[in-house]
Amino acid sequence: MRSALCVALSLLAGLAWSADITLPDYERVALENGVVLLLSEKHDVPLIGLRAVVRGGSVTDPAGKAGLTELLATVMQKGAGDRNAAEFAAAAAGVGGRLSISSDVEAVAVSAEFLSRDAELMIELVSDVLLQPTLTEAEFIKERERTIGLIKAAKDADPNDLMPYYANGFLFGDHPYGSPTIGSEASLADIEHADLVEHYASNFGGDRLIVSVVGDFDLAALKARLSRVFGGWAPAPGELVSVPAPETAPGPRVLLVDKPGATQTYFWFGDKGVAIDYPQRAELNLANTVFGGRFTSMLVTELRVNSGLTYSARSTIDRRSQPGSVMIKSFTETGTTIEAIDLAISVLGRLLDGGLDDAMMASARNYIMGQFPPSLETGSSVANMLAFLEQHGLDRSYIDEYGAALAAATEDSVARSIAEVYPDRDGLVFVIIGDADVIRDDIAKYGSVTEMSITEPRFQP
Amino acid sequence: MSLFSELRRRNVIKVALLYAVASWLLIWIVSHLVGGVGLSAWVSDYILLLLAIGFPVALIFAWTYEITPVGLKKAVEVDQTQSIVYKTGQKLNAAVAVLAVLGVAAVIGEQLLPEFEPPPPLVLEEIPLKPVFDFSAKAEVPREITSFNLPNGLEIIVWPDHDIPNVVLYNFVRAGGRNEYPGITGIAHFFEHMMFNGSEQREQGEFDQEMEAAGGANNAYTSNDLTVYQDWFPRSALKTIFELESDRLMRLAIDPDVVETERTTVYSERRLRIDNDNFGRLYEQVRATAYVAHPYQNPVIGWPSDIENWTQRDLEDFFKTYYAPNNLTMIFSGDVTPEEIYLLADQYLSPIPRQRPPPAITTVEPEQQGERRVLVEASAQTPLLHVVFHAGAEGDPETLHLELLLAILAEGSSSRLYQTLVEEEQIALDVGAWQSGGFDPGLAYFAMTLTPGGDPLAAEARLLGLLEEVVLEGVTAEELTKARNLRIASFWRSLQTINGKASALGNYEVFTGDYENLFAVPEQLGAATAADLQAVAANVFRRSNMTVGVLRAPLDEGEQ
Repeated sequence: MRSALCVALSLLAGLAWSADITLPDYERVALENGVVLLLSEKHDVPLIGLRAVVRGGSVTDPAGKAGLTELLATVMQKGAGDRNAAEFAAAAAGVGGRLSISSDVEAVAVSAEFLSRDAELMIELVSDVLLQPTLTEAEFIKERERTIGLIKAAKDADPNDLMPYYANGFLFGDHPYGSPTIGSEASLADIEHADLVEHYASNFGGDRLIVSVVGDFDLAALKARLSRVFGGWAPAPGELVSVPAPETAPGPRVLLVDKPGATQTYFWFGDKGVAIDYPQRAELNLANTVFGGRFTSMLVTELRVNSGLTYSARSTIDRRSQPGSVMIKSFTETGTTIEAIDLAISVLGRLLDGGLDDAMMASARNYIMGQFPPSLETGSSVANMLAFLEQHGLDRSYIDEYGAALAAATEDSVARSIAEVYPDRDGLVFVIIGDADVIRDDIAKYGSVTEMSITEPRFQP
Repeated sequence: MSLFSELRRRNVIKVALLYAVASWLLIWIVSHLVGGVGLSAWVSDYILLLLAIGFPVALIFAWTYEITPVGLKKAVEVDQTQSIVYKTGQKLNAAVAVLAVLGVAAVIGEQLLPEFEPPPPLVLEEIPLKPVFDFSAKAEVPREITSFNLPNGLEIIVWPDHDIPNVVLYNFVRAGGRNEYPGITGIAHFFEHMMFNGSEQREQGEFDQEMEAAGGANNAYTSNDLTVYQDWFPRSALKTIFELESDRLMRLAIDPDVVETERTTVYSERRLRIDNDNFGRLYEQVRATAYVAHPYQNPVIGWPSDIENWTQRDLEDFFKTYYAPNNLTMIFSGDVTPEEIYLLADQYLSPIPRQRPPPAITTVEPEQQGERRVLVEASAQTPLLHVVFHAGAEGDPETLHLELLLAILAEGSSSRLYQTLVEEEQIALDVGAWQSGGFDPGLAYFAMTLTPGGDPLAAEARLLGLLEEVVLEGVTAEELTKARNLRIASFWRSLQTINGKASALGNYEVFTGDYENLFAVPEQLGAATAADLQAVAANVFRRSNMTVGVLRAPLDEGEQ
């Protein structure tokens, strides 16, 4: 009774302030060479957040050269403009600034955060790293070997960190989404310095660039500066290749990754989900919040609170320009592997059969809206969001009208999204990392099992 | 004769009125006892139920019986001419009046006589922090920050910030691995879990359900020194948060069945962070080797046999001692005013009874008398090397110097160790350094992931060579400037969010005794000299003060 009242009251409260959450005003400037600038002033602390996104990303890795884009991103900051690797690193750190470049599935992104007094230097470094990386062979070899070593080190550490590479690899197979963004020990060993130089030349240019800056600066002056710095960058040769829609092999099927002596089994199961343009985003987020997106989710309640089988369980929907994965993951003591996986599948069944009731809808709506404002609190987080919207061709209504979309979702519309997006119980794709000698026979009931060792130099069988 | 006039004649209406006024007064008194002296909440529920049942009984009694000069008689048997119902009615009127006056006086008195000091001054205008870059001045302490103590010893600090309609609460509990001993290691961390598992009023799970339904989220962490509870919520959930927090602090349920389920969850967390992660395995062994006396030697998550064996009594004692209001500091930052926090805290948190202060931790780690070594054999493609030295406590002046020194040595890819060990000589895939001091002296910790097949002994020799260089030659002016800039930027970065503000304020309050010390950081950074850094290097980086840990594959496996 009390909690029903609570839910009703907090629902009203939630609706009352949901209208408050909007993106700040910003200016969008399209330069002639295709560069898009997104700028917004914010003066509460003397900091500036910057995000520069180059469309492309790991999906542009050539066949057999998985990891090339991410390796390129790493080597780009090992010397640029007039500075060698050590000088470049010292320049940013010398003023207390942060500058990093990373590769994602569909973009390479430079993130920088610095004191406003250092804007001139930091923008120079960002433009150098994008426009004038030196890409020396010595730095390339060093970083290639280091990346191979880091993958081996990760195999000695928490298997959760590597799960996405095994999982996407097994789910998407030869599609670009199946290729490990970090590469594998084997694919990295096949990459040459010439590949790196050629990959930069063909995939980087002004037409692919979005620069988003939010913080303590004068907008007119910064716009002029950025236009000067990036306005002359020639377009990349050729068209940006669009990612084909993935076709996945049907389940049930199982990949078993053997980690001898592991006292815990790490499991993942799921299927192909939906793309970034899926229109019922609010419905989907409501469903996933309740199912596996927060502490009181159905998955955590069953697998942790009620049974003590695990420390953590969650579900995630990975939306990209094409459908990514929708998946459930958790871990448990080796001896309770089957109990935990069976329970997780039955919780999925409850979601598919039962959907969300009124109280769940109200709670999830309040939770999403209540946790939303802090996600846009800093200059950096707003800069990231502006770049994300531009990259995916979305506008500010993606944020500004989100509250209204959550409020408009109904039990029926959520149920339709659940049926559309979540995988069928009988056709699941599983990846299980654990002590194969102990669990091999028992997991055969989930589907045909393919087995590999964690020490094999690749993520796909 | 109408029923109504007969009801009046038999004083039933007056009895009803008296009953109502007396009940109201009783409820008022009990509800204050529940607050004031820790009377359980069920008592007031129980009394309410009794009063409700008693009401019709009293009315029927009043209808049926009548007071006569010779005692109680059934009303129908009383001779109307002898009846004294009028007199009885006057007595009833007087009683109602007296009780009503008492009740009104109590309520007014409560308003007029606050139990402790009046609310803090009106909210001050929020002024953006003035940027300080030149290290010559203190950053100004923002005027809008307000702190006060409840009479039960609970310390509360409020930092209003109205940029977003959200609030953050950090509750710092002064209980961590440091407060444990063999048999109960891990119990502070276990409480971090139990605090979400129900109270006398709420079943397991309801705490989180109510918080999330109101738009809030929470988490908690346990360290060697503290257990810290964090709530992130929209302003609209403020009252809900107070209800939930006061409920679990006042009436935590330690249900034996829930304890057993939670043991297995914590064991799963241990397998995740330590048993199946080579870094965690070595880290646990190195700390256990570096300390021989001080409780910092125990893993925060607990030794496995302790996780399996602590008792109900251990749990109840620990809760009573360490979750007392006089052992807590709460920080609120975000879209609130000090006044409303004060009033809510007074209502919800001041009823929690104060306890005797926890026992002091008096063990001092004795001076190390020579280097120590520990080896962990485990399946590993990449060996790990950890090298640690005893250093200072959080509040020591040396600690800031060591922090600057460690930034020069290992923060980012321009640092000395990264440049030499990772970039130039490729001995390591990665290197990190930090210090772990809390209320008591901690460790300066160096951790390296070696390249596959790397030689831990050679890596150790190279690391020690680089540390010796700092001892002998110190750091350059350029390096010192860089380290200061890294720290000042992270100072501003931490104050960008209401979460960062709550965390920073709380840590300075708890570890240095005054949150205002946070704003002295720029000035202290400016005052640190290269000589200070060299002095702390010489003091800390000594072989007799060192513990070395290596994790590698068993030799026969490695040689295959």
